[in-house]
Amino acid sequence: MRRGIRTTLCVALLAFLPGLAGPGCSRTERPPEDVLYLYTWNNYISDETAARFEAQCGCKLKQDYYSDNEEMLAKLEAGAVGYDLLVPTGNAVDTLIRQDALRPLDKALLPHFGNLKPETLDRWFDPGNRYSVPYAFTITLIGYNVERLQELGLPTDTWALIFEPRYLEKIRGKVSVLNSQRELLAAAMIHLGYSVQSAEPAEWEAARDVILRAKPYWATFSNSTYIKDLAVGNLWVAHGYSCDMFRAREDAKDAGRPFHVGFTTPKEGAVLALDSFVLHKGGRRPDLAHKFIDFMLDGANAADVSNLIGAGNPNAVAQAAIRPEIADDPAIFPAPAMMSRMSMLRDFDPHVRRVLSRLWTEIKVR
Amino acid sequence: MTRRRAPGTPRSERVVKWVVSLPPALFLVVFFLVPSLIMVLASFRLPGEFGGLMPLRAADGSLDLSLDTYRFLFGDWIYGEILLKSLLVAGLTTALCLLLAYPLALLIALSPRRHRDFMVLLVVLPFAANFLIRIYAWILLLGPANVLYSPFAVIIGMVYVHLPFMILPLYTNLEKHDATLLEAAQDLGAPRWTRFWRVTWPLSLSGVWSGTALVFIPVLGMFAIPELLGGTGDILIGNLIKEQFLDNRDWPLGSSLSLMLTVMVLLLAGSAVLAGRRRRTLAKGAK
Repeated sequence: MRRGIRTTLCVALLAFLPGLAGPGCSRTERPPEDVLYLYTWNNYISDETAARFEAQCGCKLKQDYYSDNEEMLAKLEAGAVGYDLLVPTGNAVDTLIRQDALRPLDKALLPHFGNLKPETLDRWFDPGNRYSVPYAFTITLIGYNVERLQELGLPTDTWALIFEPRYLEKIRGKVSVLNSQRELLAAAMIHLGYSVQSAEPAEWEAARDVILRAKPYWATFSNSTYIKDLAVGNLWVAHGYSCDMFRAREDAKDAGRPFHVGFTTPKEGAVLALDSFVLHKGGRRPDLAHKFIDFMLDGANAADVSNLIGAGNPNAVAQAAIRPEIADDPAIFPAPAMMSRMSMLRDFDPHVRRVLSRLWTEIKVR
Repeated sequence: MTRRRAPGTPRSERVVKWVVSLPPALFLVVFFLVPSLIMVLASFRLPGEFGGLMPLRAADGSLDLSLDTYRFLFGDWIYGEILLKSLLVAGLTTALCLLLAYPLALLIALSPRRHRDFMVLLVVLPFAANFLIRIYAWILLLGPANVLYSPFAVIIGMVYVHLPFMILPLYTNLEKHDATLLEAAQDLGAPRWTRFWRVTWPLSLSGVWSGTALVFIPVLGMFAIPELLGGTGDILIGNLIKEQFLDNRDWPLGSSLSLMLTVMVLLLAGSAVLAGRRRRTLAKGAK
């Protein structure tokens, strides 16, 4: 019955929005061929690497893109099938495992698995890496206009920069923070010295109060426009993802701006998002999927994601193939001492989610 | 030949009416009524652990429905406050659109016929560029002027995007006005302003109403513009609904908020229709 509804939905979607229907909808009619379907973040694999993989395995690689985990989960939840590989963040890997949506890995098919740094393996969302192969990580940190902050004599390595009025009054209206309940509340919790997974309502309320106190000084909540605003000079400080800050830095450089964009991980710690390859049960070609994962574990191919978008890399062998200005950047590759102060976000149960969403709405309205 | 057959018997006329109105009716049932009913049901269900919803039937087989979401929604003022603010923004946007669009629509309608199509083309030309690109262009324009990320920027974006939806229905209405009416009024000694206020404006009211509906309702649900151009306080009901479905994955809360918005729009549209009908009956009575 449910499957019937899904098929109807697929047909309806296909009729109206050809771009939205997953490969599963249209694939049944075609004769089976060697195609690997990858559902991934935008810009995660360079065209050259994709072409090299196709040449090596004699198959085709088809990519679809998502811009956040929720979008990907929602699409799979709605019944998209046919994706062999996904690249979710830790909490989404956890969700997919608990939904029994993933296929266990066959490590015998992954001879390059040993290239991975031990500290990126065996994490809470997948003990023993039965399902996931780490591919890239980003850090939620603070990006800034180097010259402006030097002139003003402001520190750049602390969350106090975006939460404490004594600093904020010098940069009023030139600050943006992420428009994300989880990320912004987590930053405030870290600033207060609390755990980002706290079960204490009083601690969350304290985080809300810190945010409400700082809010009048902020220009906006932004998840993407801050890249352009930093690169153009509209904003001087932004709370955001290391990959985006990397892009803002490159954009400012390419445009020959009279200033530089920098980014630093606050010394109190930060949120780290580790993305991993996983095999979806709806995929039809686990053999090709293993081949692809192992191909991407090879040092030079693994280096792609760092060179392309400035993501951190869990692959030890890749390090040599990463451009030195990226490989030596402590905001992209944190020192071990810093690494121990990173937290990964885990999902809450529906009740806590609703309480936090009420706090968030209050933050937005007050 | 065909023309003689066209009036037809009342029966074949009814069949034609059905055939013509069936596709849009079907469309509305499938893409409006059914989803709305699904949302009504969803708003009484419980949020699922991974997003989505809890199974409809609990472990013991009983229906797992509850009023929790509505208790939460009406338990404090914050959600009503946001709805009220969205209504204000939508009202202001509509009023500004009307003020800007009316003179322009009148100008086009009064222009020589050979220029009109070109002018209408200019009005719809912005649609050739993607909506998001046009909003990003405003970021570049408003940034240096220091008004980006403010309620002002949100209103500018809203008016800019929705202006054509006000101009076009006004123009189609104004274009059809009979010029002899104005000449008659002039012959009877009515000055320019009286001619507009007593002849053109009352005749254009149906265009004003359709323009108002085409602007007011989409603005009420808009979330992209406040998100891209708005400051830290510029959240509207559309943003709140989107957050419940995507970021917070609380479908019941998102559904109930969305229903609240739908009910509000239907109430407003309904009262506008009623007001229009009453005025028409009054006008008929006056004759």
